[in-house]
Amino acid sequence: MSFNVNFSKRKVDKFYLPGQEIRISRGSFASKGFTTENDNVSVCRQRTVFALFCFVFAYIILGAKLSYVCLGNGINIDTAITDQNDPDVIRFKNPVKRADILDRNGEIIATSLPTVNLYANTKQIKHPKDVAEKLNFIFPEISYDRFMQLLSRRGAFIYLKRNLSPQQQLQVNNLGIPGLEFENCEKRIYPHKNLFAHVLGNTDVDNVGIAGIEKSMNERLTSSTKPLYLSLDIGVQNTIRKELLEGVKKFNAAGAAAILMDAKTGRIVALTSVPDFDPNQNLSINERAMFNFATKGIYEAGSVFKVFNTALSLESGKVKPTDRFDTSHAVVVGRKKITDPHGSHGMLTPEDILVESSNIGSTLEILRVGKKYQRQFLQKINMDKALSEFELPEIATPQFLSERRWGDVSMATISYGYGISSTPLHIITAFSAVVNGGMYHQPTLLSDSKHKGKRVVSEKTSESMRQFLRAVVTRGTGRHSNVDGYQVIGKTGTADKLENGRYNSKKSISSFVSAFPASNPQYAMIVVMDDPKASKETYGYTTAGWNAVPISKNIISAIAPQLNVKVDFDIEKQRSVVNAAYKRP
Amino acid sequence: MGNIKTAMFVLWFTITLVVIMSSSVLKNRVQVLERRLNTINSNIQKDIADIHVLKAEWSLQNTPDRLRKLAYEQLSLENARPEQIINYSALQFNNETAGNVKPAGSKKQFTTLVKAEVKKNAQ
Repeated sequence: MSFNVNFSKRKVDKFYLPGQEIRISRGSFASKGFTTENDNVSVCRQRTVFALFCFVFAYIILGAKLSYVCLGNGINIDTAITDQNDPDVIRFKNPVKRADILDRNGEIIATSLPTVNLYANTKQIKHPKDVAEKLNFIFPEISYDRFMQLLSRRGAFIYLKRNLSPQQQLQVNNLGIPGLEFENCEKRIYPHKNLFAHVLGNTDVDNVGIAGIEKSMNERLTSSTKPLYLSLDIGVQNTIRKELLEGVKKFNAAGAAAILMDAKTGRIVALTSVPDFDPNQNLSINERAMFNFATKGIYEAGSVFKVFNTALSLESGKVKPTDRFDTSHAVVVGRKKITDPHGSHGMLTPEDILVESSNIGSTLEILRVGKKYQRQFLQKINMDKALSEFELPEIATPQFLSERRWGDVSMATISYGYGISSTPLHIITAFSAVVNGGMYHQPTLLSDSKHKGKRVVSEKTSESMRQFLRAVVTRGTGRHSNVDGYQVIGKTGTADKLENGRYNSKKSISSFVSAFPASNPQYAMIVVMDDPKASKETYGYTTAGWNAVPISKNIISAIAPQLNVKVDFDIEKQRSVVNAAYKRP
Repeated sequence: MGNIKTAMFVLWFTITLVVIMSSSVLKNRVQVLERRLNTINSNIQKDIADIHVLKAEWSLQNTPDRLRKLAYEQLSLENARPEQIINYSALQFNNETAGNVKPAGSKKQFTTLVKAEVKKNAQ
């Protein structure tokens, strides 16, 4: 060990250290506080000793700290890991990249599971026949020939099987064959199978959305792992789908659709269309099952349109609730003679027109108002355009007549639901606006959507409409939908199906729009039956009152308690039920 | 001067020894902790993946159809009907008669009585 400090007893008149020859003038900064007495070596030594002590001091601190960390309990690893405020602590992320989709209660309706794909680097595979035989044993659904075909290709990345189960992965791994590799991936899973098929859509083999919410929200779902909350409710959706399936079976219909909407916000609580499909199965699905009738099916709504006709008539101020219209005779508009299918009804108020579902009455109302106001009103409730802000890509543009073609005859037929076509989604959204106090809210499937809404009818008109529509249920065509305690309001509609430009009187589309409770509607619902058949039970009728209405009643009876809608029973009636149950007099 | 030199040598030697020893122990402890941290991280990551799969499994087990079936088979529960929801004010709280009043015997009898009364009211 050698030091360049002059600790030796060498003579000071020689230069032993570098810089020793430098003359230090008295009073300079370097010599302050030191007794040099013109001895350069002494100055240098003192400085060296000073520097040495500085280093020693630093070493002592360093050593002490090291001793404390090593021998003491300097770092607490447990607190270091769990310290959430420390930015250096590792944040753990879900390995699944595509975000989950949840219903409004936080239940999973679509999720992704980590899985692996099996691929082959055929250059490394020496005995393809042997490999194909072994793989065929593990994957009997893929033939030996198919494996041979795949393994005969030249390439470093040839998919042999996608989405292996952990057991299959272990079996392949245990084969220990060089050239067989695994690729980490994920598979989209829909635990509720068909229940949300038309809303969620599905993804392709690469997990890219190809239909429904999966398609429209693909970027959102892949850019963040934060779950996407929808406004749907699993329980309600299941009840509605169950009733629809039973209805389709009972009335031997080609299909059916239903939408339940929060009338105050436009949020969709349930949306279903049958037939449907299981999005977990990437099999070829028939076209009808893939078709979402609720949002893409355009049809002539029939008498349901009388709701809008009466609302716009009242809103125009040219028709009053107390006005009476003579419906005892057919009305002729242009070359069209308009009659009521159930015979004449005499003098009818706007309420009676809805109760009796009178085509003549509706025509007389609109004749007072005029086609210009009618067209403007229908445009105001978006009957002329696709609801492009809606989250599903499967939407349709209604068939809305141009101004030139909007003649008197069209005006008359549109008043009772023929002439323009729209989707169930259009109708229920507009119906909600008419009964909820007059505010039109864009329909949405997102739970956090905050659409302010626009006024389309006054509160007074809306209140009158609720009163009229309540009468439809208590004494009109919708009386089979009256659920005791929930004050249902609604309107039926049946229209002949348009096939190849002609009306087919043997096929119809029946629908029922409803809302509950009447005093302050919280939920609005539409049930549409595609081509229901007559039966003994319906006395040969195929009108909505015999199919869509009882289905709606069953649905409302089941979902209203689920939705915590306040029951409005007659107290005395209830009391008698309680007394009966307890055998009281 | 000799004393200072010896003292400095001992001091330096001791410090160097402490630093070497400490560094060695520190390195060893860091390696142990790193291994432990890696294991913990790996376990956490695995647990997160497992929890994700379990959530999916839970969702599959809780489909409304399955729950309805189980509730009916195991607990004899059905969907609540509107007539089953009774307004609080419809209940009579008479302490004098409460002791004498008993619900209708069997569940079937109870349901029959309630249904009959609901039907009567509906008419």
